[in-house]
Amino acid sequence: MSRNETAWKEQPKFPSTHFVDTRIYTDKQIFREEQEKIFNKCWIIGCHESEIPNANDYRTFHHPGGAQLFMIRGEDMKVRAFYNICPHRGNTLLYDPVGNAKRITCIFHAWSFNPKGDCIDIPRGKEGYQERYDCKDAGLREVKSEVGYGGFVWVNVDDNSGPLKDYIGDALGLMEENLSMPLEVFTYHKAIVDSNYKLWHDTNSEFYHDYMHYFNRITGMLQPGYFDRQYKGYPNGHASVGSMEIKYDAYAGSKTRSVGWPGLAPGGWVLIDLFPGMTFNLRTSVLRMDTAIPLGPDKLIIEYRGLGLKSDTPEQRAERIRDHNTIWGPFGRNLHEDLLGVHGQGLAMREGSDSKWVLHGREENSTIHDEVGMRHFYAEWSKRMGRKAYDPFNDNKLA
Amino acid sequence: MTSKTLIDELIYRSALLMDSKDFAGFLDLCDPAFNYSITAYIPEIRKETAWLEQNKEGMKLLFDTLPRHNSDHASLSRHLTVYTVEQDEAAKQAKTISFLQAFKTSLDGGATELFAVGKVHDTISLSGDKPLLLSRNVRLETRLLGIGFHIPL
Repeated sequence: MSRNETAWKEQPKFPSTHFVDTRIYTDKQIFREEQEKIFNKCWIIGCHESEIPNANDYRTFHHPGGAQLFMIRGEDMKVRAFYNICPHRGNTLLYDPVGNAKRITCIFHAWSFNPKGDCIDIPRGKEGYQERYDCKDAGLREVKSEVGYGGFVWVNVDDNSGPLKDYIGDALGLMEENLSMPLEVFTYHKAIVDSNYKLWHDTNSEFYHDYMHYFNRITGMLQPGYFDRQYKGYPNGHASVGSMEIKYDAYAGSKTRSVGWPGLAPGGWVLIDLFPGMTFNLRTSVLRMDTAIPLGPDKLIIEYRGLGLKSDTPEQRAERIRDHNTIWGPFGRNLHEDLLGVHGQGLAMREGSDSKWVLHGREENSTIHDEVGMRHFYAEWSKRMGRKAYDPFNDNKLA
Repeated sequence: MTSKTLIDELIYRSALLMDSKDFAGFLDLCDPAFNYSITAYIPEIRKETAWLEQNKEGMKLLFDTLPRHNSDHASLSRHLTVYTVEQDEAAKQAKTISFLQAFKTSLDGGATELFAVGKVHDTISLSGDKPLLLSRNVRLETRLLGIGFHIPL
């Protein structure tokens, strides 16, 4: 039976942990608070160590809290992260996404910095600033960084944040062996979608949407073990999903994967979601890493990285690239569907569209179609935001 | 020597057939040994990638399974301009380079936006009674492809 306006807005017949108010996906104030209370407090993946293998290699990064950063490997081979902004007139220091810079020189007035963030030259400094200001006053703003958990470069713009291992806890334990050898990024692309970042992370946090994926239905949902996959929640809003054996050859034109991954059973698939928007997705031969970077309440960039083993032979690497892009590339079978889904949510839940609720109410003993992964995320979100996801403005008429 | 007009027409016809989603018609333009790829250089990681690689059979399977997938139903318009045609009479082949612009037109309202640009590198078999595509490499400049697409360019 269809519903009138009153019924449409009635509280769903679930506990308040099992639905959210859609304004958390559209409201500008909430987005600004998320930048401040979540993204500027959490450890975020900026890049992978294989993207900056040599001394003085750098990689730029749009931090989801808003700051423009770059990560650079020093002559001492230590990776550091800095704001990508000249302390003089606020210009961008590094324009290219990657490069090698022993000396970072601002194009505007040629102020120069070394890869440790020290200012090493201010042209005509004495003439202009006399004794009032010099290089020692003009270092770059350094951001906390650590390399770990598969060689990813993590950054945290909060100087008072705890160490990365405290933030991750045991959440990546399921992949400990899988991430124990040197990895290498072999493909990278971005997508910009008019949608909220949480909706993308939600997609990575529930498998009920496998109904959308013909490939996943045929190779996964119809195969033994699929409905046994188990969710597990961890502190700080992280969650993991256990493995099964994917039957790749059930899809026309697809073959059983010939290349596997150390520590993963043949055809295996393990997924770990890290709060607030990163996903380690290890599927048989490829580790896919998603990083969701909101640009506003209704726009986000998603960075996609595909990784293999640094020790790959050319043949193994070619196979991993093929496996990745067949499913997850911009012309792959699955990624387009996932992005179409989150794009559709963005269309339907725009501010003023009277969308009202999103349900996270499925309970199936924490197995694959249970929506416990999303519930776990929103419990953490509510705690950090000091707002209830189901009633973010305390104005819902709840039972 | 095969006339350049015949080679040009093969390339342009391939775009028209793909635009109209006449996939069988497109495959009729392809040699049995046809290979297709979409590749790009990714400066962020300083590496090449192949986003799609299929032989003729793989292309047919890809086209055949399209109706089972959830896809963006916007249409693509492929504009090709043949830049160069180099014929190798001994090998009975031609190598061509064309410029590609692909425009996407939404179903709702019909807004058209640029989807991708790149170059199409074709190898064309001239050994039969008509030119046939032996390989096609779509070399994309564009890497930000929105929500992506299920249909090759």
